[in-house]
Amino acid sequence: MFRTLHLRELFQIVLALVLFSSTAFTQETSPAESSAPSHWAFQPLTRPLVPQMSDSSWAQNPIDAFIFNKLQEQGLSPAPDTNPATLIRRAHYAVTGLPPSPEAVQAFVAEYSEERYEALIDELLASPHYGEQWGRHWLDLVRYAETNGYERDSMKPHIWRYRDYVINSFNQDKPYNDFVQEQLAGDELENAGPEQLIATGYYRLGLWDDEPADPMQGKFDDLDDIVSTTANVFLGLSIGCARCHDHKIEPIPQDDYYSFLAFFHNIQGFTRGKDMARSILPSDQEKERKDQISKNRKAINDLNEKLQGLEQVFLVRYREDHSTFGQDLAPSDMTEMHYRFYRDSFDVLPDFDMLRHENEGDLPHGFFDISVRTRNTHYGFVFEAMLTVPEAGEYTFYLDSDDGTRLRLDGDEIILHDGVHGLNNEQKTTLQLVAGTFPIRLDYFQKTSGLGLKVAWSGPGFERRPLSFDMPELDIPKLVQEHGAEYLSEKELKQRAFYQKRLQDRKNFQVPGEFALAVEEFGAEAPPTHLLTRGNPHAPGKEVPPAFPTALGGHVPDLPVPDIKSTTTGRRKVLADWLTRPDNQLTARVLMNRIWQYNFGRGIVRSANDFGVGGMAPTHPELLNWLAADFVEGGWTLKRMQKMLLLSRTFRMASDRHDANYAKDPDNNFFWHFDMRRLTAEELRDSILAANGSINLKLGGESVYPPMPKEILATSSQPENAWGKSPVEDHTRRTIYTHVKRSLLAPLLTDFDLADTDSSCPVRFSTVQPTQALNLMNSEFLNKQAVALGNRVREESPDDMDAQLTRAIALCSQRQPRANELEQAHQFIEDMKRDFGHNDQTAIDRFCLLALNLNEFIFLD
Amino acid sequence: MKHNKPVNSFCGQVDRRDFLRTTGGGFTSLALSGMLGTDGFPGNQAFAADGMSTFKNPLAPKVVHMPAKAKSCIFLFMYGGPSHVDTFDHKPRLYDLDGKTIQVKTHGRGGHKNEGRIVGPKWSFKQYGESGAQVSELFPHLATCVDDMAFIKSMTADSPIHGSAMLMMNSGRILSGAPSMGSWLNYGLGTANENLPGYVVMLDKTGGPISGAKNWSSGFMPASYQATVFRPKGDPIMNLKPYGDMSSKEQYRMIQHLNHFNGRHLADHVGNSDLAARIASYELAFKMQSEAPEAVDVDSEPEHIKRLYGLDQERTEDFGRKCIMARRLVERGVRFIQVYSGGHHNDNNWDAHADLKTNHDYHAGNTDKPIAGLLKDLKQRGLLDETIVIWGGEFGRQPTAEYAEGTGRDHNSKGFTMWMAGGGIKGGVSVGETDELGSEAVVDPFHVRNLHATVLQQMGMDPNNLSYFYNGLDQKLVGVEGAEPIHQIIA
Repeated sequence: MFRTLHLRELFQIVLALVLFSSTAFTQETSPAESSAPSHWAFQPLTRPLVPQMSDSSWAQNPIDAFIFNKLQEQGLSPAPDTNPATLIRRAHYAVTGLPPSPEAVQAFVAEYSEERYEALIDELLASPHYGEQWGRHWLDLVRYAETNGYERDSMKPHIWRYRDYVINSFNQDKPYNDFVQEQLAGDELENAGPEQLIATGYYRLGLWDDEPADPMQGKFDDLDDIVSTTANVFLGLSIGCARCHDHKIEPIPQDDYYSFLAFFHNIQGFTRGKDMARSILPSDQEKERKDQISKNRKAINDLNEKLQGLEQVFLVRYREDHSTFGQDLAPSDMTEMHYRFYRDSFDVLPDFDMLRHENEGDLPHGFFDISVRTRNTHYGFVFEAMLTVPEAGEYTFYLDSDDGTRLRLDGDEIILHDGVHGLNNEQKTTLQLVAGTFPIRLDYFQKTSGLGLKVAWSGPGFERRPLSFDMPELDIPKLVQEHGAEYLSEKELKQRAFYQKRLQDRKNFQVPGEFALAVEEFGAEAPPTHLLTRGNPHAPGKEVPPAFPTALGGHVPDLPVPDIKSTTTGRRKVLADWLTRPDNQLTARVLMNRIWQYNFGRGIVRSANDFGVGGMAPTHPELLNWLAADFVEGGWTLKRMQKMLLLSRTFRMASDRHDANYAKDPDNNFFWHFDMRRLTAEELRDSILAANGSINLKLGGESVYPPMPKEILATSSQPENAWGKSPVEDHTRRTIYTHVKRSLLAPLLTDFDLADTDSSCPVRFSTVQPTQALNLMNSEFLNKQAVALGNRVREESPDDMDAQLTRAIALCSQRQPRANELEQAHQFIEDMKRDFGHNDQTAIDRFCLLALNLNEFIFLD
Repeated sequence: MKHNKPVNSFCGQVDRRDFLRTTGGGFTSLALSGMLGTDGFPGNQAFAADGMSTFKNPLAPKVVHMPAKAKSCIFLFMYGGPSHVDTFDHKPRLYDLDGKTIQVKTHGRGGHKNEGRIVGPKWSFKQYGESGAQVSELFPHLATCVDDMAFIKSMTADSPIHGSAMLMMNSGRILSGAPSMGSWLNYGLGTANENLPGYVVMLDKTGGPISGAKNWSSGFMPASYQATVFRPKGDPIMNLKPYGDMSSKEQYRMIQHLNHFNGRHLADHVGNSDLAARIASYELAFKMQSEAPEAVDVDSEPEHIKRLYGLDQERTEDFGRKCIMARRLVERGVRFIQVYSGGHHNDNNWDAHADLKTNHDYHAGNTDKPIAGLLKDLKQRGLLDETIVIWGGEFGRQPTAEYAEGTGRDHNSKGFTMWMAGGGIKGGVSVGETDELGSEAVVDPFHVRNLHATVLQQMGMDPNNLSYFYNGLDQKLVGVEGAEPIHQIIA
């Protein structure tokens, strides 16, 4: 049977070749017209009959019937059921990505029955960790990352909400058709709420070059990323290949590419300096929120004005008595000082240009001045002004701050003093400058305790002069506080106190907002979409309408006519509706194949993102069709299908090799046994933390920063500024919550084949390399975790070496060690003590390191 | 495996199940590959990435497309973009125009401009060697090697912005996600030394270039093909040595015990090649612990060699050390070594926007003697014949100033100079020309893809035939449309 399939594949490829060679030069006929109907994946989805079996004792459910039928045809026999201990471990990892506890295994083995297994599956599917494991699979597909890549690799603010949306969707068993609709068109759905807006963060996950050499090309590169990913993920089609010409393998003409792109053409791409975050409050609440903010802001400005007026009155009188005062209040060397104020908690300077500011204004005095803040903690400033350099020569800039600052002159960073720190660590830099007026910019943030900003400069012919407004003698409010009674009337003082009180109230007034990185369009009308000759955005060809791929029927849909005031065209909803129609040939097939793949290690179609002519043929087409049809008929819910797969006999087979079967089907094309698999990078790290008990199973929230090895930081162009800090308890959160920075990835994860985030990752690599061994034996992380495991077993069984070793093995393999294994472990301890002079504690720690390196720990049976 | 030859032609599709997508090369042992490649009982991960690449693991040396002239390549990456008109591309007219504002179209960081103030070159040029090549005062030592060098004075790239231009020079595309040249070489050629990585990167002491590891990433290929970062001092590779106070002997004992456990586990899983490979990988890792430090033991070099590379002078010590390391790695079969001059931001690299003189004096002074030492040392050992050396940045610089005053130059990707030496590249030649201002390549322009094609060809691979199937396309380093090597400089 496999041979037949293989030949069929070859036939399809040859067919494509012939078609290509006949069209390559003329491009008059599309390959789609002739070959599309024949390809299996483009056929309408029909529900095959479940095969009748001569011996039905093996099968648990219809899945098994399909599998068993094929095995019989091939003269293969299914492997026996695996033992209960292996089964529970397999099921735990498949559903949650976490190991069971040794106690759970023991209990399961003792009570093992059909009903007990079903209860286990129900329990696992109800666990919130199900969403974390399966959400991770989805994040691979949509190339989830939290930065934009390229030179600045700047943050994608709030994007973690999309990650949590995905996790929650799996946990809620959200029907897949809704899941698709929300991600592609959540904002265009009726009654779209915060959840639906967050879902459209899907469009914000990709790479973004904020400084493209050719902005037009950059725009279409960004759209291409969306087109390619969407086609890969939801349709299993490589439409992206038809950007420059008709697809060379698939029946996808170039028109199809641009017709598909037309659905997305009106999306606002990332823009430098523009805050892409979008409020996710319902619109009435959002309007009220905005009104309140502007009302409050106006009140603050009015009060400030009144207070400043009083201060001026004070100053005039004060100066009469203090003629020298203000001499060092020389006019600022800067003009056009403008500030933006941000309200958020930072550990390092963010890319403020990507964030939404709370407030902004001008500072006529021309100094950097953080006194205009509206709070004393958790805020940031961007000051921008023009600095006049009087003559060419050498200038020195001085900067001291609590907390982080960055000073830029004429676009170049000249001092970076980032991170959370106190004052009295002045940074300076000396530069050769030419005369002229240059843009100067200061970014500043303040987290908690302490604050301060001192900026100054010196140059030819002048000593150090302040650029910031922070010296105590210039602190006018303070002067007024101290000497107000001498120079202001009682009435004025009362007024001042009144204004101050009201100002404080206004400043304390908080208007809660919720933001997400979500899609936005330019408005109700989409720009025309043209086919781009050879993919060149400067060479537009004919105009094409939004249309579905010809190979799948290819009709031009009726587009809604949105209200002129509408914020979107409604086109994405049209696409999402088509994708989730019960008769869409690919959506359900592609998804069911993925569900199969993540449970069984490989898809029924191995090329999970490529169901086209050039992809791999399904090993069990009828089974895939049946699953897809049943899935759609059952309302697109996943947990029901998951349960069916997990309860199948096929899932319960042992991984043992069987010589006769192996000789016939070495690649296990027919699923005659269960394939062993290595843990993924995330599963491995989570399992290490689970073994020593340090894992923090808190769900959701902003991403965290476990410590990054300094060797990795050194590869960044800004090593001192490359990675954030999180509280210690967050260091042991599940790996899915680790911040995903495209240019800086943890070696433990990359060594174990973390998904590449530059494009959709349908199947993880699973390599075996010596660097993995080096990491697991020698890295600081592993050695520290091994000690933590040592501490755990010591605490649980003080002074009982035998119990400690037994427990260490059990925590890593979830089973009790056999006698000869325990003997080997004792032998190891003896060696460590005798030959290397270790005490019991170090010897156990060493054994724990060994245990975390076991094949049995890293491979699943 | 029937063939190891990576094939690409479209018609090759028919065969791709067998070999096109077979991953190869990388960083592990022949012993390992022997175990993995043949009788495998492949686990469920027999297919990966696109779901098509078989995992009959990597790593045996591959059959090359044609006889190779070169075995290794050292890419000396002048990050930030050195100015060609101040180094190797002599433009006499520029001196007279100094300070004059003239009509000239430029595209740099500052966008598209139609006129600019010319900055006269800050150094004088002289002719050197039998070839009479023009070299500026910046490189007195390199000037003595010109008869071994081939200058390409008409290089072009697609972007004048650091981030995308770096990706292009390293991976052939301005977009992130493609494998870098070193990954392609290891994919195409396999390993020549099981105990060392086939692709090594050494970074500047001030930090990596912008985009960091993306510059030496394996993109859509497995991580086995990405570069390993070597450090010039201390442990050369991360996690190479046992942690804390564990001795090597103790670790070996630990591995022996681990093997006992894993061996017992394997006995229950007869024939599982992944498990067997993992056992073998520990032995290999252990061997690397002794081999890698030896490979980079620069201190064991004789004094006259150290002096040749400038290790006796403070400012050349750092780069000189990396150049010696590069030579030692070449001797040990490492395929591709990239050494960065410059890191971090602003004037920590060749990105001279403000004061060209200070910037280029500094970076050239740090690297001139070490690079000349490397060329001479390779030559005296007979290694230059089989080692390609490449010098250049991600682009060059404009003849015009970027700001109203000062000597800084903006970026220029429309015309710049790189040079190659060794590995079957002709010495004492120069191809291509920029216009009289050095603003644009006008005679025989070459693209970064031509440079990449030249390297692949010299190392025995057909650049238009080396492909990796990914996302519906036969991906190539030289792009789907292909590129010719620079025939004029090939001996």
